Formats: sequence, structure tokens, C-alpha cells
Amino acid sequence: MKMLILKMLHGVKTASVRLSRQYTSKAKRSVLLQDQKKVKNYEPKTSDAHTNRVYVWGFQETGALGLQTNVKKAKERYTEMVHHPTRLQFSNNNEITDVTAGYGFTVYAVKRSDGQTLFGSGLNTDSQLGFQVKGNKKDPANLDVIIYPTAIQLPREQGETDEDMQVRCMSAGRAHLVVVTQNGTVFTMGHNAYGQCGRSIIEDEVYTGSSLIHRIAQTDICGAEDEIVAVECGQDHTMLLTKLGRVYSCGWGADGQTGQGNYYSAGQLTLVGGDIEKERIVRIACASDCVLALNEHGDVFGWGNSEYGQLDDSPDAAPQICTPRALQLTKGIGKVKDVAAGGSFCMALNDQGLVYTWGYGILGFGPFVEQTSKPQHLLPPLFGRNDFSNATTVVSIGCGVFHMGAINSDGDLFMWGKNRFGHLGVGHKKDQFFPFKAAINGKVLKVAYGVDHTIALCRPHL
Amino acid sequence: MEVTLALLKPHVVRNTYAMQQLKSLIGSNFNILAAKELRITKELSECFYADHKDKFFYHRLTTFMQSGPCYAIILQSELCIQKWRRLMGPTKVFNAVYNEPECIRALYGLSDTRNACHGSDSAISARREIAMLFPEFDIGQDRIGAN
Repeated sequence: MKMLILKMLHGVKTASVRLSRQYTSKAKRSVLLQDQKKVKNYEPKTSDAHTNRVYVWGFQETGALGLQTNVKKAKERYTEMVHHPTRLQFSNNNEITDVTAGYGFTVYAVKRSDGQTLFGSGLNTDSQLGFQVKGNKKDPANLDVIIYPTAIQLPREQGETDEDMQVRCMSAGRAHLVVVTQNGTVFTMGHNAYGQCGRSIIEDEVYTGSSLIHRIAQTDICGAEDEIVAVECGQDHTMLLTKLGRVYSCGWGADGQTGQGNYYSAGQLTLVGGDIEKERIVRIACASDCVLALNEHGDVFGWGNSEYGQLDDSPDAAPQICTPRALQLTKGIGKVKDVAAGGSFCMALNDQGLVYTWGYGILGFGPFVEQTSKPQHLLPPLFGRNDFSNATTVVSIGCGVFHMGAINSDGDLFMWGKNRFGHLGVGHKKDQFFPFKAAINGKVLKVAYGVDHTIALCRPHL
Repeated sequence: MEVTLALLKPHVVRNTYAMQQLKSLIGSNFNILAAKELRITKELSECFYADHKDKFFYHRLTTFMQSGPCYAIILQSELCIQKWRRLMGPTKVFNAVYNEPECIRALYGLSDTRNACHGSDSAISARREIAMLFPEFDIGQDRIGAN
């Protein structure tokens, strides 16, 4: 018995000797070892120094996408539209913290060592991107169109630092821009024929080539005990939201979109009353002339244009509502977390992560253009939920005048609606009838929905 | 030949690309008898849209027309009233973008009021509107077919 075990052990020993036997000569082995040193170790390249990146797509002719650096070269590689989300070179060299889009222009909030905090590109025919000239100072040529992001100089008072001028929040309208800086100053520029810049309307004012940037201190708007936390522009009006949940508005009121109880234009920022007077509003949304507001309890309020039954579905409903009212038609959808209002439709996101749409247009339910005043929800699998990612849910929604979008918890952006000049980023010109994922190499943080272009602020996957 | 009035609205005049496209579209389809940039005053817009006085959007329309310079053109061609109206597309932009996506209003309109352009709806209103915006223009010289 003992002998047998010994014999077996011996067998193992010889086997291991045989296994460690070298099959190459010593000389060859040293060559191979040398080669091993030459094999490069692959280290995946992670993010750049500037972590946020920006993707842009849609209509390019206005310069709003800021992808071209040279007018001549742009003409050679002529493409009127950019159908796929394309990385903005400007975002590789700059730390971009916020984005907003108007009609044919885009504005970026930037952190830079040289103290510039605001950049913009696109249409500048109403000086919505500030005073931009080229050539010598004696004979400047005004720039109507800016094709690459250019610094917008905010007029500083003595003692204001670069830190003071960092952007807290901003929003762009059809042809005006409103920026609130860290020290609580509101800057407005561009078109003011309706008073949307928060200053008196001057008849026959010429906005092209204007160097006027209006400054308003937040204490003059909401007093010393409150502060501005968000700004939202419709096409031709402006709304400011404060920490205490109050809303101030100015601009075009012909649809009641200023919520002031009348249909006039106003150049003075004024507190909005109606049903939101005693409410703590936490969010306002408006892409055109219909406004939705949300209070801290998740109730929805609305005012402005309601021609497509967005705010009221009763048979004798008025097409315009000039005093904010608590909406009845969203009562059945539970606690609302986010709202968005487009040109002829509205959206709401409830605390279950369900996206509801109503109004007129491509609402996302299939191959029809439809009209309904009853909010209906889109199914979660459309927004990336499946058996392998059961917890995926929509975290924020938004829309432009003609298109809608939603971002899910994985950082994916889904878009649907009218595909005006390719601004859905789906790779073709056809309208998209249900939510479709945009091909973006990054996690989407925020989307700026323009009238015919879209801008996404993203974080790298790695 | 028939004449009509085409009016490009303020927001389109501010969009350099849209203006360029529309001018070439008009140039290739019509004879241009006169063209000018003009500001529509309160009085003028109220007079121009007198037909809509009782509609809910009357105030919206008139204040919009005052918001900046417009571009007015007198067009001439065979059946140009119909032709220009067909190029413009449906009045309501939110319908036009789905029903006639290639028309001017679908491409450059922003909302039902910011609908890019205006065109006379009949020979009588064409005469009335041309007389209003181009008082210096002698419509008599094109009487042939105007009635």
C-alpha cells in the first residue's frame, strides 16, 4: 500500500518536471522576453480636463451650433443641418456650466481663467448676443451672425469680481437673453419691443448693433430677504423665480403669458398673482406662450395661450388665460415633479417617473398628430426600462416649441415630435412619433431646446 | 396680370437666412413691382387688420406687427394671389408643420401669430392693402386683370 502511494507521488513529480520543460532555446527565450517589454500596456483614456462636454444638432445656417470656425471653410463643406448629435469643439477647451437656446442662437455659461463668463453664437440681429463687431474701431462692421462662440461682455460696476460675474441661471427667448449672475444682478439684452428685457419700451428703437445691456439688481425686484433662483423666457416674455417661490414677469402679454391679469405688454418686472399668489412655486416652464408652474406639493398651475386645450378642457374654455390658475386636468396624475410647456402641447412628470403629454401635436403615442386635453402617460420601456435595468426611470423632461424630450436615470436623452431642420438628432429629416434615444457619447445633464436646434450638456461616461 | 401684396413679418426679417431664402423664392416665382422695409404703426396695423377686429387674436396680431420692421413686396404673376397663398401654406403654423411641412409658414413660422408672412386673400383686398402700404404706388398701371 505504502509502495503504491510512493509510486504515485513519483509519477506526479515526473509529470510536473515534464510540464515545466522549456520548448525554446535559451537564446530565443531572451528575444521573446525583450518583445514582452515592448508590448504597450493599454490604459483607457478617461475624460479631459474639462469634464462637461456639449453636443449640438439641428439647423446650422444661423450659426447657433457654433461648429464652424471659418466662413469660407463652412461654405465648402456645406451642410444646412446637422442630423446627428455632434461634439462642440468649444466645449473641449472650456469648462461649460450651463446652456440655453433661443431662436437661432445659443448661449453658454463658462468658467475661465481670463474672467469671461458668457459666450454665445448664432443670430445677433437684435443684439441678443451683445455688441459684436469686427474690423477696426473707427469703422466697425456689425456682426449679424456669429458662427463660433464669442464672449459676451457683461458691463461691470466698480469692484465686481470674476466670481461675481459667474452665471447663476439664464434663459433665452426668441430674440432676447436674460442672465442672472452670482452676485444677484440681472442682465438683459436684445429685443425689447414688448418690454421683455425688463425696461421701458422705446418706440422705434433699433436693436441691431445696439450695445445696450440692461442691469437690474435683484433687491430692486424681490427685496433684500429673497433671491432669484431661476429664470425662464417664453418667446417674447420673461419670468423670474425666487427662493421664496414667487414669480415676477415682464414682456409680451397678448396671450396672457405674463400672468398679470391683463393682455398688455409690460417693461417692468412685476409680481404674478392669481392662484399662485400664496403658493411656493419651485419650477416654471415655457417654450412659447403657454406657461406651466409647479408648487412644492406637486400641484400644477398654468396661464397664457390655451388655444389647443392645453390649460382647460371645458367646452366654453377661453383660448387665452391671463391670470394663473390651478389646473384641473392634471389632478388625476398624482404628485408632479417636473413640467414643460411647448407651443401647442404640455408635459408633466409625476413622482412615479411617468411622463404625461397632452395638447396638440406629436404627443408620442403613435403615428398620428393628435389633439387631446386629457394627459396620458407614455410607457416606461420607451425610456430605457427593461428586464436588465428595472430601476431605470425618467428624471427630467423638457420641450421646445415643436419637440419634446426626456432624460432618464442612466443619463440617456429620448426625443420625439416635429423634426424641424433635424433638431431631434435621429439622423434623418422625418418626424419622430415615439420617444427615440439620441446617440450621444455621454450622460446628459441638461438640454436646451431651441426652435430649430438642440444643445445637450453632458458628462463623460468614464 | 394679377398683383398681390406679400408682407414678411418682423421675426422673419430678423432672421438673415430666412430672408435670403424667401427673397430668392419670391424672385423665382413672381415679378417684383415694388419692395421696401417699413415699420407698421399702431394705426396702420389696426387699419390693415380691421377685418379681424372682433377676433380674440386681434390685439395679439396688431401688437406683434408693431414689434419691428416688416418687409412689404408687391408681387405680380398669373394668378399670383392664389400662388402666393399656396406658397405660404395654412395660417396656423402648428397645423402647417404637419399638413404642409414644406410651406413657408411651416419652415419659418414660430406660432399661429408669428406665422412668417401675410398675403392678400382677394383682388379687392390686394388693392386695399397695397394702397395702404404703398400710397406712392400707382395701382392703375396694373389694372389689367386686377378686377
